Amino acid sequence: MMDTLTQLIAGFAIALQPINLFWALVGCALGTAVGVLPGIGPALTIALLMPVTAQVAPESAFIMFAGILYGALYGGSTTSILLNTPGESGSVMTALEGNRMARTGRGAAALATAAIGSFVAGTFGTLALTFLAPAIAELAFIFGPEDYFALMILSFTSVAVVMGTSRVRGFTALFFGLALGTIGIDTQTGQSRMVFGTLELLDGISFTVVLVALFAVGETLYVASRNAQVHAVLNPLSGGVWMTREDWKRSWKPWLRGTLIGFPIGSLPAGGTEIPTFLSYTLERRLSPHPEQFGEGAIEGVAGPEAANNAAAAGILVPLLTLGLPSTATAAVLLAAFQNYGLQPGPLLFATNPGLLWGLIASLYIGNVILLVLNLPLVGIWVRLLLIPRPYIYAGIVVFALVGVWGLSTSWMDIALMVGLGLIGYMARVYDFPIAPALIGLILGPQAEIQLRRALAVSQNDWSVLVSTPISATLLAIAALVLVLPLLLRRLRRAERRIEQEAAAK
Amino acid sequence: MPPIDEARVGAAPPRPWWIGLAVLAMGLVWIYGATSIQSTTAFVGMGPEVMVAAVGAGLVVLGVLLLVQIRQGVTFRPQEEENADADAPPSRRAFLFSLAGVALPLATIRWLGFPLTAAIGFTLVTHAFGSHRTLFDLAVGAALGVGAWFMFSKLGIDLGPFLPLIR
Amino acid sequence: MPNAKMTDATPRLRRHLLRATLGLAGGLALALSGGLALADPAKVLIPANPGGGWDGAGRQTMAAMNQAKIFTDGVNFTNKGGAAGTIGLAEFVRTAKGDDNALLVTGVIMVAGIITNKTPVSLNDTTPLVRLTNEYNAIAVPADSPIKTPQDFIAALKADPGALSVGGGSAGGADHVMLAMLAKHAGAPVNKINFVAFSGGEILAALGGGKIKAAISGASEFRQFAQSGRIRIIAVSGPTRLEGLDVPTLKEAGIPVEIGNWRGFVGAPGMSEAGKKAWLDRFAKLHTSDAWKATLKNQGWEDAYLSGPEFLAFLKSEETNWAQALREVGIVQ
Repeated sequence: MMDTLTQLIAGFAIALQPINLFWALVGCALGTAVGVLPGIGPALTIALLMPVTAQVAPESAFIMFAGILYGALYGGSTTSILLNTPGESGSVMTALEGNRMARTGRGAAALATAAIGSFVAGTFGTLALTFLAPAIAELAFIFGPEDYFALMILSFTSVAVVMGTSRVRGFTALFFGLALGTIGIDTQTGQSRMVFGTLELLDGISFTVVLVALFAVGETLYVASRNAQVHAVLNPLSGGVWMTREDWKRSWKPWLRGTLIGFPIGSLPAGGTEIPTFLSYTLERRLSPHPEQFGEGAIEGVAGPEAANNAAAAGILVPLLTLGLPSTATAAVLLAAFQNYGLQPGPLLFATNPGLLWGLIASLYIGNVILLVLNLPLVGIWVRLLLIPRPYIYAGIVVFALVGVWGLSTSWMDIALMVGLGLIGYMARVYDFPIAPALIGLILGPQAEIQLRRALAVSQNDWSVLVSTPISATLLAIAALVLVLPLLLRRLRRAERRIEQEAAAK
Repeated sequence: MPPIDEARVGAAPPRPWWIGLAVLAMGLVWIYGATSIQSTTAFVGMGPEVMVAAVGAGLVVLGVLLLVQIRQGVTFRPQEEENADADAPPSRRAFLFSLAGVALPLATIRWLGFPLTAAIGFTLVTHAFGSHRTLFDLAVGAALGVGAWFMFSKLGIDLGPFLPLIR
Repeated sequence: MPNAKMTDATPRLRRHLLRATLGLAGGLALALSGGLALADPAKVLIPANPGGGWDGAGRQTMAAMNQAKIFTDGVNFTNKGGAAGTIGLAEFVRTAKGDDNALLVTGVIMVAGIITNKTPVSLNDTTPLVRLTNEYNAIAVPADSPIKTPQDFIAALKADPGALSVGGGSAGGADHVMLAMLAKHAGAPVNKINFVAFSGGEILAALGGGKIKAAISGASEFRQFAQSGRIRIIAVSGPTRLEGLDVPTLKEAGIPVEIGNWRGFVGAPGMSEAGKKAWLDRFAKLHTSDAWKATLKNQGWEDAYLSGPEFLAFLKSEETNWAQALREVGIVQ
């Protein structure tokens, strides 16, 4: 422990050198910028900046890359909240409550709780990375296919149950997403499935296309067709520029809970940043004393998922730095950057190159502070984006949607899919089907299938393997509870009311 | 102000039978699709067709449930949105204009290129939202399209040729 | 009145926006001057998830190229894993048409995968460029496994092939075929073997955690994990032992199975002659550079440079050989 502290202080000495502070600042600014832009993520940005590694010291390069990694998450929440068009899969859940808040003049509070939550989670995540990394890394070996499968089932049920007005509609959206996820070549056997004889569908439907179509396109069509001719002038700041005391009180617990969910899941090789945000949102909705506010702009629904995805981002560094295992595209790029310098991340790196590693870890703390300082004052400016006349906001969204989809692979088929799915997104709004479960089905469906098939292969088709470990059994039990509990509660409440009425009648 | 559209739907709560049917049909398509996937015996465990069939079956069940709910008179009200009056009858004209803006690239992006397509699409959408400054909107859209094209090309994201017509 | 407040805010807003824009532009310009303002970056599609052999092959090769100053315009990597790389191949054929800067990492696994999966696209749809490396496979087991020698492995396979879950790359790929060959040698029914497909680095966690009984993959993927004592390499599939690795070859153990895992690059479908020549030149330069030699040594790859028409001929022969091998072991009927 003392040893870790001295190492960390030495790391700060490196990270606080003016030149490194400068690179941290550049990384944070770039990261925020790419997070705001749809279609460009941190992985792409770091990959494009790879040539820089030939020219600067490894410490400086990694400090900049760390800034990009965290900065992208800060920036990603901004478009979700203000424009209801999440730039990345990790900020889908943020859009749900955050955008509602923005529409009632509380966008500044939403952005602030997202930024502070990201800061809190990023800091705690980095702390955990500093002191617990070797222990947490062991999780990678404990989690088997059946545990991953159970984790994904929990994500499915919780999101389908809590989202939207009815469970049937939640599950319909989920299964729609799952169905889209089966399209393409099967990853296990290489057979093509549901491609209807087209070459274009062989590699599956791109997540970006679905995200852009269901959110940006569906939203534009819906608002256009129901555009109230009398424009109520929306003052984006009517709710104030800052979080109220009430906001703080309602935010701090979700921040901490989000961190607790995000960090361990993020550190799993197949964890990612999405699952924690889904679980955090569900949890906050369950625990909130005002569940009726969810869907109308509940601040907990922004605070929790935003903390969760930042903590998960810190978690991603755990298997990378301690085991040399990259779990996301961003981590793979970072691994390549290490190897560019002739370094192999892994248990040996802590022994052979402590200066670089601790410098990187220290820079994560500093990056978080820089991002908070950069983002909080900007909150007021971002919110004023909403002052742009609506025709131009929505037309702009359509243009950027086109950038995201056409820039993917300049494929006509992708645009056709965008239009078709955009119409479905429109219908979903007209008939009140939730959208997030469809995206979750699309992201996690294929993964859940792979894990299920691996589990069954290892057990030689013995289905009891799915509940064979404490982790999987617990997670599945929670999933079942999530599914049944609301029904039971409703029955109970009805029975209670009947008793009350009978009592009153007497 | 556009004249009041005759196509505006009355305010009766919608009972969208067809959604239940569509979900049901999609499920059947997936189940049918599953039958055409070879189940390989060489591998222990679950074959590639199981997931497809399971998803199809789920959709069929959900389609039936939706139909039951609709029959029971569950209403499907539009979602509340900012300034979008959920109870107001939808404007078909605005919908079609914005749809045109979104779908335009299908027809033009190959031969007009990204910047021009973006400019026209932009204008169609602003029009759908009630803007009538066509020339100004075209200029803004063109600026946005050209700017985006240059910036993203610089970042290595291919948005196709600038003006395919003259290449 | 909210309106009054807003008019008040407008000039300030302009100033803020201006400042923010300037700041952003400054940051971007800085980064651009850091090396990204240079022309067209290459677009490399890696047909596997992050962390596996192909991922390393793609990223390491381009990194060496950058180090040796052969191609410094930046590289834009995309990972698209699954199904022996054929999903990535399908995407590549669909999207990269005629792009002189688009490359796809390929290898023997993909050649086999295309045959097993009857994929509607093939390497003939691309522009083959070079074979760069060869790497022999290794068999590894969790550190506490009772399987200690190649013979133990064969015995376990013979006793109950289903109970021995063996991880590897995609089904139908070289790893799968190697297991099938081992089963055939052991006299175990090939259709009973329990091959569990992984893509990328997840296989290491599954093996280290004892979720699978053994794994077959490139030796370089296992090496670091073996050094840290999490897993044990029990055999390599090459003709000779690997340098610095005290592990017998299958041949030494009397098992006549030898499978090499070559990797290389193909270009976009319909790549122009000029584009093709430019890349062939770059790979030729890379092959003689010191940076590349260092990479080969670090990764434990064997140099297997083969370029242009010779590579094309080699690909053709690989296709016929693999079609035959896959039929022989019963993976393809």
